[in-house]
Amino acid sequence: MKPAIQIINLTKTFKQLRAVDQLNLEVPVGSVFGFLGPNGSGKSTTIRMMTDLIRPDSGEVFISGQSVQKLHNKALINVGSFIERADFYKHLSAETNLKMLARMDNIPFQRISEVLERVKLTDRAKDKVKNYSQGMRQRLGIAQALLTNPKLLILDEPTNGLDPQGMKEIRELVRGLSAEGITIFLSSHLLDEVQKMCSHVGIVHHGKLITTGRVGELLANSDLFVTEIRVTPLDKAETLLKKTDWVHRCEVKDESLWINVSTETLPKVTELLVKHGCSVKAVIPRTSLEDLFLSTIKD
Amino acid sequence: MLGLIHNELLKITGRWRSYIGFVGIAILMPFILWGFSYGGGQIHEDYMSKIGDSFIVTGSVFNAFLATYILLNALWIHIPFLVTLAAGDIVAAEGAAGTFRITLTRSVSRLKILMAKLFAAWIYTATLLIFIAVLSLGLGSLWLGAGDLIVFDKGILIFDQTEALWRMFLSFTLAILVMWVVAALCFMFSAMVDNGIGPIIGSMFLIVIGYIIMAIPLDLFDAIEPYIFVTYFSVWLHAFKEPIPWDVILKSLSVLSLYTAGFIGISIAVFLRRDIKT
Repeated sequence: MKPAIQIINLTKTFKQLRAVDQLNLEVPVGSVFGFLGPNGSGKSTTIRMMTDLIRPDSGEVFISGQSVQKLHNKALINVGSFIERADFYKHLSAETNLKMLARMDNIPFQRISEVLERVKLTDRAKDKVKNYSQGMRQRLGIAQALLTNPKLLILDEPTNGLDPQGMKEIRELVRGLSAEGITIFLSSHLLDEVQKMCSHVGIVHHGKLITTGRVGELLANSDLFVTEIRVTPLDKAETLLKKTDWVHRCEVKDESLWINVSTETLPKVTELLVKHGCSVKAVIPRTSLEDLFLSTIKD
Repeated sequence: MLGLIHNELLKITGRWRSYIGFVGIAILMPFILWGFSYGGGQIHEDYMSKIGDSFIVTGSVFNAFLATYILLNALWIHIPFLVTLAAGDIVAAEGAAGTFRITLTRSVSRLKILMAKLFAAWIYTATLLIFIAVLSLGLGSLWLGAGDLIVFDKGILIFDQTEALWRMFLSFTLAILVMWVVAALCFMFSAMVDNGIGPIIGSMFLIVIGYIIMAIPLDLFDAIEPYIFVTYFSVWLHAFKEPIPWDVILKSLSVLSLYTAGFIGISIAVFLRRDIKT
């Protein structure tokens, strides 16, 4: 099966700045793919090249096997996208905005009420967008992306400016859409959110792909394994571990020790603690996407 | 395509700036017509002093047709500005507002979207001129009455009501075509930038430069004149000549069409290659 998205040697330079540099990436069909990178890493430029807003200097993006650079908008027929901010015609109502977009895509207006229902905006459909809160605009942004019944949804920072409740709603929406078989390509700087939602991730830095794969596999294979150790006495254990040169970080948090060690050296930790009379109650892997992300871009 | 044009018209009608021209004309026209009715006697006497010895004139020569003819002459330089108010925004405002991120990522091609915007700008332009015609002739007829149209063009030309009406129709049709060139020029600038003011200033700058070149009697400028599109803006006046110089009209429209095609061509070339970064 052809990947939902395939990026080959994508490059874009703005004046002296190489925003995207020979980027290669594959997004499997049916995945929820988290696209991560620090500010200015080339995420937005890549997404804009994927959606034909920006023309690359070289390289190509294929969506379901169709070249965006050759077919332009025709390659985006089964794609819904929400890029950066939900900017609409503010002087018009949400419904009118969606009607205009439905007209562009030759979609029956009946679909508008379905997508508005989906993002819980039915009651406010007639209100002008300028009277919408940030969260409502974000939801409307997702509604417009869903209008075409897309097979691939590209969401660039969809939780921007949302409160925790709003984030939760978007998270649930993404999960629901994924369960329906829609491939989701999601860019976010909220790593915790990405870890909760995504099956796969790709990390970019300075316009290059640093790493990509299944979230679970990447975390498991990470050199820096973050582990929580519940041990007594805590002070003694901390002193012991800090003296070693193979524990990279050791700190007390919530009555536990949080350490960074490589996967291979983890057994040595418990061995050392037990040998010195410490009582180890639990060893819990706590490696987060944030740890992986930070260690990846640090390298 | 009709759906896309419908969308663009919705956007235009939703912007307050689009109504400036209509509101301005709606206020100005009755004021001018009132001025004509108040001081129209003087104009009637001026006309009669020129033709009174040769013709017996019943009623007033100062009627809706003459008022419209004088108005068109007076407003001609200002109408392009009203046209640019909408045409300047039509592409650039979307760049500034960030709405291209939603519209240009759909299955419709950029070319179709751009053309829909151009047609919408032309519909707006035509509507504005029709509004001027209807208000001036309609309100003028109610206020000043109808009658023969008397114009001076290498002599005296008197058009009866029926002829005056169709010549007005021809004149406004030509005026719409001329203003479409202005709209296309402003549209071209609009396709290049992300703010609506730049295209208005750019277009008006070029038009004013053209008027200046036409006004200064220098051999160099006289030589340039045939190649400037502004030279042909007065083509609407040929509707009031006898016989109507169709060859001159055709030549003027051909030159204006070439310019229009050039402006549209540049707009397409720029817009299709443009990176949307806003």
